Amino acid sequence: MRRLEMILSRLVWFVPTMAGLVVIVFLISNVIPTDPVKVLLGENATPAQIEAMRVKLGYDQPLWVQLARHFHDIVSGNLGTSIYSQRPISEDLATRLPATLELTLTAIIVSVALGIPLGVISALKRNSLLDHILRVVSVSGLAIAAFWLALLLQFFFAMKLGVAPLNSRIDGFGPTPVTGLMIIDSMLDWDMESLHSALSHIALPALTLALPAAATIVRFTRAGVLDVINSNHVLYQRAMGLPPGLIVWKYVLRNALISTVTQIGLIFGVLVTNAVIVETVFDWPGMGTFAVQSILQSDHKAIIGFTIWIGALIVIVNLLVDITHSFIDPRGSR
Amino acid sequence: MKRRTLSALAAIAAAASFVFSGSAWAQGKYVHANNSGYDNLDPHVVFDVGRAASRINFYDGLLRWVDNPPKMIPWLAESYTASDDGKTWTFKLKKGVKFHDGSEFTADDVLYSIERMLATKKGASSLFLPIIMPGSTKAPDKYTVVFTLKEPSAIFLSTVPEILIVNSQLVKKNEKDGDWGQAWLAKNVASTGSYKLKRYDPAIGFVGERFKDHFAGWGPKAFDEIEFRTVLETNTRVQGLIKGDIQGTDGYLPYDQILRLKEAKNVQILEQESMRVFYFNIHNGRGPMSDVHFRRALAYAFDYDGFVKDILKGAVSRNAGPNPNNLWGSPKDLKPYTYDLEKAKAELALVKEPIRPITIGTLAGFSETEQAATLLQNGAKKIGIDIKIESAPWPVIQTRMQDREKNYDMVPLWKSTYYVDPNNWVGEMYASRYIGTRNTSYINDPEMDKWLDEALAISDQDKRSVLYEKAVTKATDQAFGIYVYNTRWYGPYAANVAGIRFSPIGSGQDMRWAYYK
Repeated sequence: MRRLEMILSRLVWFVPTMAGLVVIVFLISNVIPTDPVKVLLGENATPAQIEAMRVKLGYDQPLWVQLARHFHDIVSGNLGTSIYSQRPISEDLATRLPATLELTLTAIIVSVALGIPLGVISALKRNSLLDHILRVVSVSGLAIAAFWLALLLQFFFAMKLGVAPLNSRIDGFGPTPVTGLMIIDSMLDWDMESLHSALSHIALPALTLALPAAATIVRFTRAGVLDVINSNHVLYQRAMGLPPGLIVWKYVLRNALISTVTQIGLIFGVLVTNAVIVETVFDWPGMGTFAVQSILQSDHKAIIGFTIWIGALIVIVNLLVDITHSFIDPRGSR
Repeated sequence: MKRRTLSALAAIAAAASFVFSGSAWAQGKYVHANNSGYDNLDPHVVFDVGRAASRINFYDGLLRWVDNPPKMIPWLAESYTASDDGKTWTFKLKKGVKFHDGSEFTADDVLYSIERMLATKKGASSLFLPIIMPGSTKAPDKYTVVFTLKEPSAIFLSTVPEILIVNSQLVKKNEKDGDWGQAWLAKNVASTGSYKLKRYDPAIGFVGERFKDHFAGWGPKAFDEIEFRTVLETNTRVQGLIKGDIQGTDGYLPYDQILRLKEAKNVQILEQESMRVFYFNIHNGRGPMSDVHFRRALAYAFDYDGFVKDILKGAVSRNAGPNPNNLWGSPKDLKPYTYDLEKAKAELALVKEPIRPITIGTLAGFSETEQAATLLQNGAKKIGIDIKIESAPWPVIQTRMQDREKNYDMVPLWKSTYYVDPNNWVGEMYASRYIGTRNTSYINDPEMDKWLDEALAISDQDKRSVLYEKAVTKATDQAFGIYVYNTRWYGPYAANVAGIRFSPIGSGQDMRWAYYK
């Protein structure tokens, strides 16, 4: 029952959270000293053309009217038209969402697969040489800037070793889109060539995103395991003579991972943020590159649309994390 | 346990070898990495240099620019004539030209295309809106089109290649709510052009398939497919070319990247003098820049040799005035400014208005503009002028430049080729008719207007040339701007690519002539 209340409460908060986000982004985008109409029409446009387009797009209205209209459009599911691509922004974002999801989900899977075992090992071998090495590496992982790591991986794996593609999402345009996720669509098509291409192309960008995230997970898992491993119930299991592996798996991890799971939800937000840079460096056709292009073109509505989608995505992921959290640690939801 | 570990490692190695392997491009396919996104394929919406490839390779005009120096050749039109008053232009169209869907190209398609441009008011329409009234273009027969201009225009002919022809019947079928088919044509192609659209993803780019029935025919080794992809990051484009993933990229890369590419054995750099003048735009409508002596002082305070020879390693040609060196309409003996601080101080002493710190807006991401501004800042400081540098993205700079009050005092930037005529440079930069649009210097000089307006109204090139030479001489002498260099185009292509025909309009992305050696 508490779990249902928690979910409903989160859903209710979703509305003011998103509204606040829209207002902040709208105001910021209007502070930037650009005129989207002039950008749209280019340097050759005459003042008459600019004025006509300004009226047509509603940019001649007072700011609060524009904001009210913007809210109305968003509630109606209309994010407006990109002044650069001239297409509905929702359509542009929907086209690019699968690429970003595929990249960030792969990065999360890789970071969890690396981070949790290494965090456990680091805790179990506390103060050993291995622990020290893992701690140094994880601190370094946190400190590395995503764009720099991306360039390093490109230089080493793509240019020097030649074992990975330099950029893009797949050779050519990929399999017929069903889910939009290249790896899944290749498998659905039973197209091994595309699957190979999709996996090889995602390797470096996913690693770029995953390594700093894994470093965070290592540190949280290590701290969680150290905290639990000295607790009374674990000491009791030891005294009972249970094998160490079973103790760690059954009694330590479940309790130790509570903070890690919460962290994974937060990491998702960081991954999406870093994806803006990583997608640009790797020419990954996701929402990040869309955001960069929109910013460079001063496409205000597209920037707002991107922020709303990303904001909603992060809120939803955090809700899922809360739900998962309530299953791992049912104390709070009883 | 050890065996299990080894097995696991072997499995990982096998998976890695599956995941990591090089890619190859198909024979006859050319892949180009571009620094702008192909968000829209509509030829009447897109007009920037960065997205020229979709316009040139998918669409045809009545005339076409090729080569360097640029030549305008008949394309969908076989001939044209102009009336004595320069207001009526009659184009005879080629017969038997097919659209990609097999239907025949006729005069109706030209009428629809020009009316569509005038109605949607986007892209290249600003070239035609001042001189062509909607509904004034006529088709006396199936293969003749008559443009009747509001006033004589010497530049009309050189802008005709920008009227790209769409398949009117096909576009009309896809019109929605009177949108002139804009939603549909944003992601579809309806043309006679050299390549048919095969794949398109706004997030990735496009693939064009050779249109075998193209009226102009084909060379024996022309590319079967061309793929233009968006790769925003310069380093990724350069490395992709070195690695062999792509066969070409944009020709205006930073020069350090060109030097890097020159060292790669599988890359060739094609060099041509382009028509892209780098200069400091000066806001002449505000003091103290409105004082000729102040502008001259600034012009003498810029270290041209240091910039061209040291910073840019001699990769560009010094350009004395607003028109590119390699275009008619500039005096051959035009004297460039030199870096001379004594002359700068002498000019500064003549300035009557109070001297104040001035602001230069530089284009974020375009390091040359920042380097040039810093060099001028350094020279100006030596003569007692303080310069503040503000960097901003191009849309911010552009918006401010088009507003007299908000405009920066100076902006270093390039003036590219939209059509090959001196009006594209000195005319648009300094005729008062363009104030607020392309005249962002806010020059309002009756003498300049007299020359530039007259040059627009007459068709005799010799007479026009004299007028433009006068305008260029005055602009240079009065330092309306600080003119630095004319860009050289360094076209980076895979070593086995041949047949590239560079033209300043299109920047070497017209792929119908190219092939593998």
